[in-house]
Formats: sequence, C-alpha cells, structure tokens
Amino acid sequence: MTSTDTVRLWSVSKVYGSGDQAVAALDSVTTGFAPGTFTAVMGPSGSGKSTLLHCAAGLDRPCDGRVVIDGTDLGTLTENELTLLRRERVGFVFQSFNLVSALTAEQNVALPLRLAGRRPGVAEVRSALAEVGLAERAGHRPSELSGGQQQRVAIARALITKPAVIFADEPTGALDTTTSRAVLKLLRGIVDQQGQTVIMVTHDPVAAAYAHRVLFLADGRVVDELTGGPGAETIAARMASLEVAAC
Amino acid sequence: MLKRAKKPVSAPREAWQVQGATGRAGRGGGSPALAWDLARGRWGSLIGSFLALALAAGILSMTGLVFASARPQVPGRYAGAAVLVKTPSIGGEVNGLFYPDKPWPLERARSLAERLGRIPGVAAAVPDRVFYAQAVIGGKPVEGDTQGYLWPSAALAPYRLAAGRPPAGPGEVVVSRALGLAPGQRVTVLTADGPASYSVSGTVAGPGYFFAQARTGGARVIGLVAEAGADIAAIERAAQAVVGAEGRVLSGESRSATEPVADVQMRWFGYQILSGMAILVAFTAVFIVASTFAFGVAQRRRELGLLRTVGATPRQMRILMHGEALVVGVAAAAAGVALGAACAPGFGQALVDLGFQPRSFAVEIQWWPMAACFAAGLVVAQLGVWAASRRAAKVAPLEALREAVVDERPMTGGRWAFGALFTIVGVVLGVFIAGESDSVIQYSFYAAGSLIVGLSLLAPAVIPPLVRVVSWPVRSGAIGMLVRQGALTAVRRTASTAAPVLVTVGFAVLVTGMVETNVGANGLRRAAAAQAAWVLAPQGTPGLTDAAVSAVHGSSTLPTTVYAGSRPLSAAGVAGRNRAHVIAGDLQNLRDGRTMAVAEWTAREQGWRIGTAAPVTFEDGQSMRLTVVAVLEKPPADILLSRQAVRDHDPTALTDPVYLAAPTPVPLDTAASIEKVTDRMASIEEHEDKLVWVFVLILVGLSVGYSAIAIANTLMMATANRTTDLRVLRLSGATTGQVLRTVALESALVVAIGALLGIVVAVTALVGISTGLTNMIGMTVGMILPWPIIGAVVGICLLLAIAASVIPARTVLRPPRP
Repeated sequence: MTSTDTVRLWSVSKVYGSGDQAVAALDSVTTGFAPGTFTAVMGPSGSGKSTLLHCAAGLDRPCDGRVVIDGTDLGTLTENELTLLRRERVGFVFQSFNLVSALTAEQNVALPLRLAGRRPGVAEVRSALAEVGLAERAGHRPSELSGGQQQRVAIARALITKPAVIFADEPTGALDTTTSRAVLKLLRGIVDQQGQTVIMVTHDPVAAAYAHRVLFLADGRVVDELTGGPGAETIAARMASLEVAAC
Repeated sequence: MLKRAKKPVSAPREAWQVQGATGRAGRGGGSPALAWDLARGRWGSLIGSFLALALAAGILSMTGLVFASARPQVPGRYAGAAVLVKTPSIGGEVNGLFYPDKPWPLERARSLAERLGRIPGVAAAVPDRVFYAQAVIGGKPVEGDTQGYLWPSAALAPYRLAAGRPPAGPGEVVVSRALGLAPGQRVTVLTADGPASYSVSGTVAGPGYFFAQARTGGARVIGLVAEAGADIAAIERAAQAVVGAEGRVLSGESRSATEPVADVQMRWFGYQILSGMAILVAFTAVFIVASTFAFGVAQRRRELGLLRTVGATPRQMRILMHGEALVVGVAAAAAGVALGAACAPGFGQALVDLGFQPRSFAVEIQWWPMAACFAAGLVVAQLGVWAASRRAAKVAPLEALREAVVDERPMTGGRWAFGALFTIVGVVLGVFIAGESDSVIQYSFYAAGSLIVGLSLLAPAVIPPLVRVVSWPVRSGAIGMLVRQGALTAVRRTASTAAPVLVTVGFAVLVTGMVETNVGANGLRRAAAAQAAWVLAPQGTPGLTDAAVSAVHGSSTLPTTVYAGSRPLSAAGVAGRNRAHVIAGDLQNLRDGRTMAVAEWTAREQGWRIGTAAPVTFEDGQSMRLTVVAVLEKPPADILLSRQAVRDHDPTALTDPVYLAAPTPVPLDTAASIEKVTDRMASIEEHEDKLVWVFVLILVGLSVGYSAIAIANTLMMATANRTTDLRVLRLSGATTGQVLRTVALESALVVAIGALLGIVVAVTALVGISTGLTNMIGMTVGMILPWPIIGAVVGICLLLAIAASVIPARTVLRPPRP
C-alpha cells in the first residue's frame, strides 16, 4: 500500500442495524488498490465483500474510517459531489440489469458523458464499442443482445469516461463459462493495455484467477491475500479453507 | 495513465468540485435529449399518460374554441341599421341572472329619434319597441320568434315586403313569409292582452310580427338607417352630440351590445357548464398523469438507481422526469388539440340543440384558443410529473443492485401531511360549510375534490386494513392467501389501481346523487309553494295572457323588471291572497300603484325599511317613488307590486302559471292546459332533467373514460413486471387457471377498495348538499343515492381491471413459441 494508490481504505467499518441486532459487515478494513492493477475480492456469502465494494465506490457511506479515491476523501463530499465523482472518476459493471432497457447500446455507452453535459462524439462512442468488440451492434437495445454482449456494453460504458477505477460486482455471475471467459479477458486486457485499475467482487475462483491479486474477506475483515497471479486451484483451495472455517 | 491525463478534467478533484458548487455540472445539457431517448424506448408504458393528456387537451381545446366563438353578435334585425343608439345603462348580471337595460320612456325615445333623424345622411331614426306576439294556427301556437314590433322597425334589418302592403290599422298585421299565410287571410295572434284576430296585410322575409300600433313599454334602442354613401363616422359623432350622456352610440361590431338578454343568459349557462367540464377534465388529467408517472417511478427504481450510479445527480433525475413529461406532453397536446379542433363544430351544434347556446352560434376555428390549450396540456403534464420527479430524485444509487419488490416506505412524511390536510379540509367543507352556505353545490364539489386528493394520498396507509377486511371471506384458500398477501406487499400498486376507481366512483356518485337530491328538493319546494291541486300552464308559449288569467280564478304572479337606480330588480305583480311570510309591515297595504313589498335581502341591500319611499323605474321608463309596506322572508321576486301596477307600467308582461283550487275548462285560444300540480311538476322535471342528465352523463362518461385509461395502464404495467412471480406460482404447482383466477381476484379486490372509498367521498359531499338544501327550503331533503349508476360504473371498472390484468398475465404464461 502506497500513497499513489488509486483507491485506499483506512479502517473502514460498516454496521447494519443497531443494538443487539447490529451486524458488522465491515470491521476496520484497511487496504489499497494500486493504479493499473486488477484485484479480485473474494469471500464466503456474508463476508462483506459487496459492502466493501459499495463503500469503496462511494455508493454507500461507511460508519467509520476513510475512503480515498484518486486523491479525494469521500467523507468530505456532499451527495451531489459524490455523484459527480462517480460520474467522472468511477466506472461500474454489475451482475445483471446493467443497462437502461429503453436505450440502445450506443446510447447506454454515451450515458455518463451525456449526464456530464457533454455531447459525445459518434466516433468516441463507436471506438469504445469497438474496443469491446461490439462495433456492429451499436443500434441494438439490451433485449436484442446476449448476456455477454450486454456485459461488454456495460464495460464500454464504464470505460467511456476514462475513469480512475472500475468496480465490477460479480460481472460473470449471470453468464455461461465461455462468455465469462471472454468478459474476463476483456477486463484483464484493459488493465494490461490501458493501465486501467479494476476491482472485482466474485465468488468464482476461475474468475479471480484473471486478477493480479486476490483479497480474501471473512466476517468483514481482510483475512488473506494472494499476489502474482495465483492459479484457480490455489484460490479455490484458499476459499474452501475459509468456508470450512466459517462453519 | 497517459489516456487519463488527456481527460478534460485534468485536476479531477478541484475541477468537479467547483462545477458541483456552482451547479453547472448538475444541470447536464444532455438531459432533455436523454429524456427523449428514454421516452422513445418505453412508449408502451407512457401510452396511459399520453391518452389521458390527449383527451384532456382535446376537450380543453374543444371548449376553448367554443368559448372563443361564443361572442355577442349583432342581432339580424339590426343588420341594416348602420348606427344604433342605446340606453346608457347596462342591465348586466346579478347572481347569475341577466336583466335587460333600463329603458327610455316612450316620449323621450320619440323626441331623441326626431332629433337624430335630422342628422345629415340619416334616412330614418326608428325607436325600436319590442313586445310579445305569437300566431296561433290550427289551435297551436307557432314556435320560433315570438316577438312583435311596430312596422317601422322592419326597416332596420331591413325586412322588405314579400307580398302585400304594410299594416294600416289596428286590425292588421304583417307576418313572416315562413308562416305560409297570404295577404287578406285572417290569423289569431296572441299578445299580452290575449288572443285577437288580425287581417294579414303583407308578408316579410324575416321573423316576427309587425303591427301598425301597439301598447308597449319603453324603448331601449333607436336604429339609424343611413342614406347610401353617407359618412357613418360623421353620423356617429353627430348622434353622440345629440344624445350626450343619455345614450350610447354603437356602430359596426359594437352593435352586438344590443343582443337579446335571453341570448346572453343562455351563453352564460353554456359558459358555466363548459368551464365546469374543463376544470373537471384538467383536474382528472393531472391526477391520472401523476399516478401513472408515480407508478412508473416505483416500477423503474432499479433503472433509476442505475442512472444515479453512473452519475446522474438528483437534480438531473428531476429534469429527466420533467423531460419525459415534456416529450409525452408535446405529442399528446398536439394530437389532442387537433382532435379538439376537428370535433369543435359538432360540439358547438350539440350545445345549440341542447339550448346552451343561442341559435345564431357557430364555432370558428381560431389559432389562439388552440395554442392556449396546447400550452395547458404541457402544464398539466408538468404538474402531473412533479411529485414523481421528486420521488425519482430520491432513489439511491444502491437500489440498482437490489431485488426490491416490497414497497418499503410507501407512505412518506409529505404524503401523510398532505393526505391528512386534504381529507380534513374535504370533510369540513362537505359536512359543515357546504350545508350552511348559499353555494351548496360549489362547496360540495370542492369538498369532493379535496377528499379525492386526500384519500388517494392516504391510500397506501388506508389500503392494508381495507384489504384485510375486504378479503376476509376468501382468506382460507390458496388463491385467497396469495391475493391478500399480493395486495398487502405491493401496497403502491394496489393504491395506484384503486385511485382511479376512487375518482370515478366518487365523481359519478356525487354528480348523479347531487342531481337527484336537488330534483327531489325542487319537487318539494314547488309542491309547498303551490298549495293548490291544479294549475293552468302555458303550452308552447312563454307565458299566459291576461285573457287566460281572467278566464280562470286562481293565484298567479305577473313578472317584470324594475330598476332602483341602475340596479335591476326582479318584480312580481300579485293579486289576492299571498302566502309569502311577512317579517315586518302588512301585505294588506299593498293595494295601489304607489306601494311595494320587498324581500328581506332587497331591503338589506338597498337600506329600505317600512315606510321608505324609494324611487323606482319601470319597464316603460317611468320613475316614481314607491312606499315599502311590507318586508317578506322568501317572496318569489325581489319586489312584490300590485298586479295592476305591473300591468300599467309593463303592457307586455306575461303571467306565470296560474294555480287553481279546482279544475276549470281551458279558455279558448289561450295555448294553455289545465293539469294536476303533481303532473305539472313531473313535466317540468322531465324538461329540466333532459338538459341536466345530458350534462351529467357527459361528466360521468368522461371520468369513466379517464379511469379506464388509468386502470388499464397501471394494471398492464404491473402485470408485465410480475412475470417472474407468475411463473414461480405456475412452477410451484398452480394451474394456469389458478394463476389467472388469482390475478383476476386481486383486481376485483382492488376495484372493491376503490369503489368503497369513492362512495365514502361522495356520501360525505352529499350529506353536505342535503343539509344545505334542507336549511334552504326549510323541509327535510333526503339524500338520494343513484344505485343503478353506481352499479354500472363499478361494473365497468371491474371488467376493465380484470381484462387489463388477466390478458397480459395469460400472454406471459403462454409457453414461448419455438
């Protein structure tokens, strides 16, 4: 963890509910994500990996601790400023329901720019779609695209603002094996070729194997970390041990 | 990293924070265009709002065009008089009744006419005197124009002789060619005195009856016929110099100020009805658009959350919703205005046929009412989307990641506050204020409107307990359980569907119940006023002649208009016994032409007391001081005079129906009939009811139509979004039939709840109306609920709701085609 990290979390805690029913989803998590790296966040159900993503991305506010994205402390921002930060500096890819159903692929990709008040150039949007291999599907609505294609449109949309970081929440959760592989290759590609920073939540060791680094969460704490592009078997073994420990 | 450095915002934090602080970035230039793209992609779910708005814009522009066209017109019989000189006063409207202008005395009109006739370029100056005249042919009075004139008035149109010669003596008359009489034939003509036989001296190509001489009241108009090529402006100036403050000089279009009072009154009625309709339509449209958009927001929370996640600010969300409303509004208002313009001429003719506009009325298509209604359509759309846009702005970005089906907080603080406020205001208006006020009907309408808004806002809170009560009988079966839980979980969906049913049933019950209660009260009032078993009533004539009245022995009044200063007052000539309740003085003293009895409201307004000698001007233009001898509580007119006093000053007044103790033969040629009082009331009601019921049916039809749009729209949107639920039910072992029955029963439940709330609203307002009428006429007026109409409206809503939910559900459950 260095001061040049794109995203840094300092003792971030998040508690849901209060009194006896209080559940600590995140318990004083401190970690950082370096620029140009691909990190997978793994953990059993209820380990707090989604909460970590929400807090790190500014979708949810932590109860305690600090989150810094690209040099900006999220705690100092108003709701409106947080929205603008997400628009300009953060990209999102979700498991499903990623696209606005009423808009074409092209319009979905241009959405963040248009919300920022910019008139997106046709070439700009087309090249973003071409990067994810969908140049010829620009005019199609989400309902006319396959799941993998929808996810690639979502990635193109996340890339269009050239954000500091892209958050991906189970991006392959709703896809078959072949399509998953293509989407993950694409994510790894934008990290390797464009120096993009990607943080991905997943429970799939095969997906996590595409990352440079894997963070393991259990009971709201970072319990382990693998670096240097570990293989899927190693990751799966580590996950299995965590899940056994949880039981 | 290099690529990031090229970003327009190179020093990210400072740059966007500055933008955020000034609000520029939040405005987002792309939003209206984005709204267009979003609206275009989901036309299906916007159809409901589109139809509601288009219908509203259509009806508004139809009424707008009628309003714009309903202007006073120059009466046809003055078409040939280039300049008209009219009495200075304007009769005007008092409490919705229109009165004629104060006339000049005859001698004054004659001397003015003589001086006006000497103006260079004036061929003739004719004091126009109008009185009642109507031919009786084959024992039946001839319908149409029932006005008599002196022959010189024919020159003002001009109506030229088609045959024969002008009337030369008291026994001669010139009639309209349309009567089919030839010069030399004899004809019976009714005037205020009674029937008399005349010799037709000639015929004219225009309406009316022209006599050589007649006893009439004063004159209100002097027509100036100009010589060919005369300078009209010069004549106008000269005429103004002659009459000074004693008259108004009119030429060109301004001559329309001389149109008959009856036409003004009729247009006023039409105006009342049309404006009522326009307000109802605008109100309902705002309501429907609001509920459609609100429901759309509730259904699209995930999508809206996604927009928030990718960087839409709350402000942009509001702009987005208003933008969608603008897109729908423009399309719907344009379609509606075009539709309205196409239907307006037919609508105008219908109003003429129904007697809400004078015969001469025709709709002109003008651009400005259409432009105004187009703008109104846009405003209605923006008002409708207001609440929804605020709700959309509150959607949290995280909602994009949730599988939310349960409405977590259907009741917001604002909803509680406004709902309670409107409901309380409605109850207070309906139960307490309307009953005490003179404008019972208006207040009851406000009460109903307020209650409808209030209950719709409170619906999510009120509905769960109601669901439990209404679904009690079916709670045990699997379907019953599903229905109950479905309606309880998706409170917002239930509320959105119940609201239009509430509006429709509420309005239908209120409007029809109000009319029936009112008619019942009128019947009671007439029966009480008459206290007689039989009545001699005019048949096909505007009133009874003196001959008819003196042929029978009964009680009657002779109505006229008198003027206290420039204030017109209704007056009635009475003879013999009168049952008006005396507050002060003695009616026995109302004997000669120098006394009057006044209503307590007139005494209050004019500051008159017993013994006051007040100057009063009559229909013949004569003024004299009359002494107040009695103050009455509820007389039939503002002032009571002796019958002879009215007859002396208004030779052309006609008598209202004569009430009789026993039946007598109908006098010859009087165009009257003897009826039992009870039958007479029935026939009056039939005539009035015809007009009122047409109006009521238009209103009820409109609100049912609106409701249909809203119910169908909401349920279709809701069912389409429940695909997963329905499939799960099917997979858990329910047959398709059971699933469809569940859906149908759910719709029935929702309609039942809406209908129940609607009846509550209407009954509250009707209680106010019947209390008010009871206070007004001093007899207990029962509240009448029109059950057949309630049944029909609820039935239509039920059918629509079931069709709109079962049909899409069946489509969803059908196995996909290979």
